[in-house]
Amino acid sequence: MDLSLTESQQLLKQSVEDFIEREAPRDTLVELQQTERGFNDTIWKTAAETGWLGMLIPEQYGGGGAEFTDAAVVYEALGHAPMPGPMFSSGVLSAQIIQHVGSEEQRQRHLPAIASGEVICTFALTEPEYRWGLHGVRMRPREDGEHYVLDGAKLFVYDAHAADYVITAVRTGDGEDDIGLLMVDTKTPGISTRRLGGFTSSESEVIFQNARVPKSALLGRPGGVRNALDRALMNATPLLCAYQVGGAQAVFDLSVKYSRERVQFGRPIGRFQFVQNHIVQLVNHLDAARWTTYEALWKLDSGREATVSVHLAKAVTSEGYREACDYAHEVHAGTGVMREYGLTLFTRLSRSLYHALGEPRYHRKRLADLVATIAVD
Amino acid sequence: MGAHVDFAPSYTPEQEAFRSEVRAWLSEHMPKTGGDLDSDENYRKFRQLGRDLGKRGWLRPTAPKQYGGGGLDVASAIVLYEEMDAYGLPIPPYYDSGGWLGGASILVWGTEEQKQRLLPPIFTGDVVTWQLLTGPEAGSDLAGTKTDARRDGDEYVINGEKIYVGGSHGADQFWTITRTNPDGDRHKNLSWFMIPANLPGITVRPMELLGDGGEGIGAGVKNTVYFDNVRVPAANLVGGENNGWQVASTHLELEHGSGGSVGRNRWFTRALRWANEQQRDGRPLIEDPEARDRLVDIFVLTEISRLFGLRNFWMNRTHQPMTYEGPQSSYFRKLSGLKITEALHSLFGPYALTHDERWDFSEGTLDAYQRSAIVALHPGGTADIQKVIMARRIGMGREERESAGKTVE
Repeated sequence: MDLSLTESQQLLKQSVEDFIEREAPRDTLVELQQTERGFNDTIWKTAAETGWLGMLIPEQYGGGGAEFTDAAVVYEALGHAPMPGPMFSSGVLSAQIIQHVGSEEQRQRHLPAIASGEVICTFALTEPEYRWGLHGVRMRPREDGEHYVLDGAKLFVYDAHAADYVITAVRTGDGEDDIGLLMVDTKTPGISTRRLGGFTSSESEVIFQNARVPKSALLGRPGGVRNALDRALMNATPLLCAYQVGGAQAVFDLSVKYSRERVQFGRPIGRFQFVQNHIVQLVNHLDAARWTTYEALWKLDSGREATVSVHLAKAVTSEGYREACDYAHEVHAGTGVMREYGLTLFTRLSRSLYHALGEPRYHRKRLADLVATIAVD
Repeated sequence: MGAHVDFAPSYTPEQEAFRSEVRAWLSEHMPKTGGDLDSDENYRKFRQLGRDLGKRGWLRPTAPKQYGGGGLDVASAIVLYEEMDAYGLPIPPYYDSGGWLGGASILVWGTEEQKQRLLPPIFTGDVVTWQLLTGPEAGSDLAGTKTDARRDGDEYVINGEKIYVGGSHGADQFWTITRTNPDGDRHKNLSWFMIPANLPGITVRPMELLGDGGEGIGAGVKNTVYFDNVRVPAANLVGGENNGWQVASTHLELEHGSGGSVGRNRWFTRALRWANEQQRDGRPLIEDPEARDRLVDIFVLTEISRLFGLRNFWMNRTHQPMTYEGPQSSYFRKLSGLKITEALHSLFGPYALTHDERWDFSEGTLDAYQRSAIVALHPGGTADIQKVIMARRIGMGREERESAGKTVE
């Protein structure tokens, strides 16, 4: 048993932190948040050049071939900034889907371009009748010769506004397994993307109007998607959790600092037990998120069955990040809601990522399905 | 720093061989018990098991060998805990809070003479020791104790009263904190003693409480201990006169959970088994989606608790710098205990409250847990005190961050 980070993991973490300090301090990120794109070329190029973007992609496809925990150390540090941009959507989620669902030819074609940052990719599952999971997929393309013709909308798709490709989940028949994933080029006529305003991060709509997509865009074989997609989601989810853990850690750091510096009634507010309670509850959520996440990552890295741990981690982490931000706002009061202070960058993400890859209720439901099979020894 | 983050203990072939040895030994020496685990007869059997473990150095596996401990490495100790845990038992298998916490404190603060005299009986299972901390006037405010120890020649004369003490089967000695200078400054007027339980002037009287606090076999009852001019040899004052608050930091650090644990809360496994066995609407309860949701609630809470305990075990045994982690684990366990009893209540309805011989399917454990989860809010510091300590360790509320107490095992 050894729960410490390895030397190389600590170096990785340091390199991300150095980059953030240099190129993406909090006031820069506050400005970026207001822009249409939400991130900039410096961030994207650095993520690609340092190899953070493609860390999880196997070496033979141009990636780093890193272990899950290594990648999680990077994503935690990114979440601590919090660094915006489609790194997770493209380099982790889409890459995992292509790796597990796609054919060898498709892997060779797409993965190196994703790893190098040349192509940005994201995954579109949910629709206006919002529901996470394959059950929610209603969009059913028409077949026309060598093409599928798509009509409809995919909604709350992270980073679609910046994507070159949207991996679009469609229904190919009435059966449970009749699901297809199409590698859709967003430049295809009839496709438009738009980032949604509000208390969101990068959620977007993707509208399809008579959009013709070649049948060769279908990843893998029809009907063979479910298990492979599940594998990809199980692998990708803990990395998103790590990003959320980084955010919760930052919110904790901010709150402790503020409680020591902010003076009211002649003393630092950290002297007041109500304020202390907020931070105690915050750190309990943070640590629950951290250790469930890293245990799931360890199971993936060591080839153990990780399904239960992944669902546990996502449920605990999404709840935890949200609660951590709520407590941080109780500590910070008025200061916390000033845009320039930066806390709201995290708060926004804690809301936006709450339902990413399934809200806590979804993951608890999956645990409930599995509960009879959980053997603890 | 290892090559990998690794949540599982890894074992060398020697340690695996040790596991086989432990397993074989336990299967031979584990007593056959029946009925109420806390009965006098069963307790005697577990006491004997403790002595047998102690003879092999397995009662305090990581304590130094020269004082009767096992001198074993962490992984071997984990093997022992795991193998005992398979029987649902901790080490020691009976209530010995003063042995655990007093022993650890003597290791840090005792003189060499005291270590040689006081530790072997504890570490080898010869004696059972209760800790006596709380007084009627001093609960969370431990330093406010009014149990007085006055020096008289080679002895101290002790007067006062301690409450919420020990368990149902008696003890050989008491580990307690006293006031050695009633006029001294706060935190600078306290001293610890190891007191033989059979000295004249000591009276032990059981208290009637809601439940046992869930601290293992022999914890069924708490007691009040009265000291009436009890004369204790001065050689039994541990850690120096009026230095008791320093000594308390070691004692409390461990009691607040910084020692961690490798076992897990068994309530999920039990609830799962009963949900499979119990029928509702002619079907097993577990087929009810609501019931499964409650099982998930229990699972999530027990997993977080297990991970906090595992983290603390690793940090403590590998001497990582610790701050708030001990009281965090303690706080979470206390509060999640209440939430788990609520989930069990929701899951099994009124069955969760009865130990009726005809209708209870849990051998009394459900009813006992509903009570003990409430009792467990105070031992080792109330849930609120755990939060206060966390806040200090995190660096709030004080000018300087408080550091964790010193432990050596």
